[in-house]
Amino acid sequence: MENFVYYKPQTLKECVSLLEEHPDAALLNGGTDLIIQMREGLRIPTDIIDIKNIPDLQGIKVGPDEIFIGGAVTMSQVYDHPELSKLFPYLCDAARSVGSIQIRNRATIAGNLVNASPLADTATPLLCLEAVIHTYGPNGTREIPLNEFFVFVRKTLLEPNEVVTGISFKPDALDKAVFTKLSRRNEVDLSTVCCSVGRKGGEYRIAFGSVAPTPLRLLDVEAYLKDKELTDDVRREAAEIARGTVSPISDVRASKEYRLDMVANILEDALAILQKEG
Amino acid sequence: MKQLINFKLNGEEVEHYAPLNRTLLKMLREDFDLTGAKEGCGAGECGACTVIMDGVAVNSCLVLAAELDGREVTTIEGLSMDGKLDPLQVAFVNEAALQCGYCTPGMIMTAKVLLKNNPQPSEDEIKEGISGNLCRCTGYKKIIEAIQSAADKYQAENE
Repeated sequence: MENFVYYKPQTLKECVSLLEEHPDAALLNGGTDLIIQMREGLRIPTDIIDIKNIPDLQGIKVGPDEIFIGGAVTMSQVYDHPELSKLFPYLCDAARSVGSIQIRNRATIAGNLVNASPLADTATPLLCLEAVIHTYGPNGTREIPLNEFFVFVRKTLLEPNEVVTGISFKPDALDKAVFTKLSRRNEVDLSTVCCSVGRKGGEYRIAFGSVAPTPLRLLDVEAYLKDKELTDDVRREAAEIARGTVSPISDVRASKEYRLDMVANILEDALAILQKEG
Repeated sequence: MKQLINFKLNGEEVEHYAPLNRTLLKMLREDFDLTGAKEGCGAGECGACTVIMDGVAVNSCLVLAAELDGREVTTIEGLSMDGKLDPLQVAFVNEAALQCGYCTPGMIMTAKVLLKNNPQPSEDEIKEGISGNLCRCTGYKKIIEAIQSAADKYQAENE
């Protein structure tokens, strides 16, 4: 690794000042992506700003109107949280599907989203929950709907001098949801395709990862399913619409054709689970 | 560039000038001669570098030395007390749960935290628990048996 200067700010304000002073700095949170990139020479930051100790980024707040997951909260803190695991099992399933226990003890939900990998595992349940990204920067705070946050592969609406302070969503955003991850190996693998399907009254929310430049909602399929009874034919038709909505590529994990088939199969299966469990 | 850090290493308070561009793993091995933790993949996939930091298992190849300030680290060297091996270490020896030994320190540190959080894990829970630790020799069967046997030993000690 190249040399860098290490900072450990204690406030968001201090952190943003450091970002403004050092344009080639990198924010360090869990480090499970950044440190690999630094070790491989893919990123050579002049300064490292370690944000994981900032008090404002800590903790999970479960309120009557809002669930708030702080910017430094790790994957394992999410699924070990008694209320989150009871109320949002699909979000916890997604967090638990990332890497190994060692990775999940360091990797953060905010980092997973900010990296904006097309296959970010925690993105699909949060898209279905219509989560909002909270940021802090030189011009104050912003709230960005997650649905708008991802711009392209590894590109988001986050400004260079902004920090994600947390992720929020409404406790009653979904009645029920199912998370599915398809990978070559059950543990410690990246998603070949990942998906969350949720239901709220007569409406459905469907999000896929690894089938487009960003994790995305399948709004056409959602519109088709609205207020429909989930018969076999309806599920099959939804799967066909989904196949036409996504744009996967072939890569080391799977071919485009395989991914298209899997999008249809996963969606059909997830809808069947929602139908069966009511 | 170096920075002064204070942290607890295997139960002892340490004051150390850490080279900044160094991982925790490299610092343990080169500055403290604690060569139990190994570098396998260097990318958080093999678990050979696993140590316990503030009570949880982490890949020491993905922690910066500078991050250690104010934290607590336990390595495989800190597991035995006064020359007496930890029951997990004894179990790995008795069950012959190692061949080349490269993965063993990481495997034992992961298992240590697993058993702390789940004193009587099922076979599936053990498999899931050590899924971030690769072993290319044993086929895992004996490792799982060793962890089960250590769980029984801890249980007996606590009764």
